[in-house]
Amino acid sequence: MMKRSLLALTFALCTLGSASADKVITGAFDQGPGGAPGQFNPLTNTAGFTWLNKYFSTLVLYDPAFKKISGDLASSWTVADGGKKYTFVLRDGVKWHDGQAFTSADVKFSLNLANNPDSGSGFAAKFGNITNIQTPNARTVVLTLSKPNAALLDAMTNFMILPEHALNKIAPKDLRNSAWWRTNPVGTGPFKWNKLVPDQYVELVANPTYFRGKPKVDRLVNRYFKEQAAAVVALKSGDIEFSYLTLDDTKTFNGNAVKILDGSSQVANYLGFNNASPLLKDVRIRQAILLAVDRATIVKQLYGGGAEVANCPVTNSKYVPKGINAYAYNQDQARQLLKAAGWDSGKSVEVITYYSDQLSKDVLVTLQQMLAGVGFKIAPRFVDVPTYNQITGGSDFTMVYAGIGNGPDPDTLYPSMHSDFIPPNGTNRMKVSIPALNKLFEQGQETTLASTRTKAYQDMCALVNKQLPWDVLWSAKRFGGVSTKLSNFIWTPAPAGGRYDDKAYLWDTK
Amino acid sequence: MGLYTLRRLLISIPLLLVISAVVFTLLQFTPGDPLDAYIPPDQVLSAEQRQILKVDLGLDQSKPVQYFKWLGRAAQGDLGYRIKNGQPVIEELGRRLPPTLLLMGLGMTVGVTLGIFFGIVAAVKRYTLLDNTLTFLAFLGISTPAFLAGLLGMYVFALKLGWFPAGGYQTPGDGGALDILRHLILPAMILSVTYIAILMRYTRSSILEVLFQDFVRTASAKGVPSYRVISKHVLRNALIPVVTVIGANVANLIGGAVFLESIFSWPGTGQLYLDAIDSRDYPMIMGTTLMLAIIILLANLITDLMYGLIDPRIRYS
Repeated sequence: MMKRSLLALTFALCTLGSASADKVITGAFDQGPGGAPGQFNPLTNTAGFTWLNKYFSTLVLYDPAFKKISGDLASSWTVADGGKKYTFVLRDGVKWHDGQAFTSADVKFSLNLANNPDSGSGFAAKFGNITNIQTPNARTVVLTLSKPNAALLDAMTNFMILPEHALNKIAPKDLRNSAWWRTNPVGTGPFKWNKLVPDQYVELVANPTYFRGKPKVDRLVNRYFKEQAAAVVALKSGDIEFSYLTLDDTKTFNGNAVKILDGSSQVANYLGFNNASPLLKDVRIRQAILLAVDRATIVKQLYGGGAEVANCPVTNSKYVPKGINAYAYNQDQARQLLKAAGWDSGKSVEVITYYSDQLSKDVLVTLQQMLAGVGFKIAPRFVDVPTYNQITGGSDFTMVYAGIGNGPDPDTLYPSMHSDFIPPNGTNRMKVSIPALNKLFEQGQETTLASTRTKAYQDMCALVNKQLPWDVLWSAKRFGGVSTKLSNFIWTPAPAGGRYDDKAYLWDTK
Repeated sequence: MGLYTLRRLLISIPLLLVISAVVFTLLQFTPGDPLDAYIPPDQVLSAEQRQILKVDLGLDQSKPVQYFKWLGRAAQGDLGYRIKNGQPVIEELGRRLPPTLLLMGLGMTVGVTLGIFFGIVAAVKRYTLLDNTLTFLAFLGISTPAFLAGLLGMYVFALKLGWFPAGGYQTPGDGGALDILRHLILPAMILSVTYIAILMRYTRSSILEVLFQDFVRTASAKGVPSYRVISKHVLRNALIPVVTVIGANVANLIGGAVFLESIFSWPGTGQLYLDAIDSRDYPMIMGTTLMLAIIILLANLITDLMYGLIDPRIRYS
């Protein structure tokens, strides 16, 4: 009898033990193009926002389909004065992870930090026209702009609000690489920083006072993998529950332990031309190149249908007008155009790319063959990002194969196509200089009327489609794999892992 | 021997100077500078911001000035700061070295032990099926690159059989000695494969050379048991060239570790080195090169000193 009750007690203790065990989700959240492993400064980060937003918060955020912007730390906002005045009303009762109250002063502090050149923040390019920040009370922030900026809210979805009380003692210059980001960052997000084991993983713990409710899991772990293949094996073996996947990776999964998630990459792949070089100045050559590429076949054969042919750099279909030239595959016409433009078929043009994955290699070899078929020789050259940046920052190149993330707001394309941003002043690496295009981008930013804005970007799309400063090819899907042991898990590909409401506080394990 | 060691250590100093100068010069010929790596292709930074970063990273100075500044600080034990995240290089190396040494240490120990053991077996059982099989496996081992062996090993032992974790240094939240050992075994075994193969071949041929010499025959004729002939007379003489091979292959071991660390997400210096090169992180590349050069020079010195221990005829003068 005694023995039996002892046994029962042991059993009860065991079940109690397992019931109170931590619920943990481990993933490779920084794997792939949207991630930035080991980078924790949201002011200078250009990727990795999917992880940063687990412990920091933004004023506003997108829904997972990127259709609508709603409030996060801001409960509401109004735009006045023809788009030059933004008033944000902040959510009540939000606390920083260290217990301090979140106020409008924190928002002001964060924006000032972004605009301080010493902080090295890329947000300065987006917030530069904010001339005045007022905080009439702890719950209100009023931004005055030098000129209207309809894309401000879009930029805000990636802008993490930082705690003034914790950072005001650090000089902006020192903040760039400060240990604070890696040791004790304080945010307002659903999870709190716990620890970083350098080069291995970061661990967050649930924030019991999160303003949308306490998260369902106790810990969230982000593991680092230098090799994509290693992350895939870890996902397959159950060591982790989530990872970004390449198209090739997705084909290696079978069974029902892992669910494949997909969505538009919001990246347009294009053949870019050095618009300052006289070699391809004749638009007929650029038209011929596009006509010579059988994009439908590439999308079908190489991408397995996981891409969509695109005819302008805008990936958000709302801004793509009907009736633009589809440049349907036509080798004869391509040959004629090249001949009319006097193209020397003996000449070979180098195409530089920073892509190094197998799919991109296959794509370039196919492009090479297709273009050779009409008498346009290209020589692909695979380089790494620093080399690509250096070459395209100068003028000694002719063509590139690259991608541009531009969703959901086409304003993202502004610094890549407006002539003000030709290097060294920015990222218009193809040296596009079309006054009418400049004007449309400016219009898209300055107008507050949704219909006028849509029209501006549709016109921009049509203009690029006609003049072809870039030959836009397609926009591919991106993939993630998630263990079916997880519930309520939301992930969708986004530029830089961008900010959408993934409701991480509801993520759970079965 | 003490004087010899000291002399060798002193010779290492100019050698390290030359290595650092050569690496720094080569870096200047690599396209793209740290600033190009620091700023992603679509990151918008104003010319003013670029200049601030340039001055901050010391990239505004001339190349010789950059080198001598680095050298001056390195001589005092300061290897500068990592461009990527501003962490002290020496701290990063200090953190990354133990996992690498652990991986290389176990890989080498297993490699040397099994390599020599199989070499003896193959020599003693020469031209039998066992010898031929071992020879075949050795060639397979030598000709399989570390990254291929790594991927295969991971696929079979981690994914299919589930015996080991699929990479990483520790289970998040655990990190005890046993946990680390569990993560260490697979990459270390794979790292040892090339070592086993190379050492087996050398040991085998070296033993065969000694096996037919007069003093061995004499010992056998005098009725010394064969295991004693092998261990006392053959092995001692046969191991001298093998020790050279062990030392000379430390550089290969490091090369293998670089790939395996990436595949197994092992947070060692190899992975750090690749990362540093990717991001044109000059201080990190220089620091890691210097450290690896020191390891290789030390390995060579230890090899030379081992000669004396194995063969008393060798004198250091």
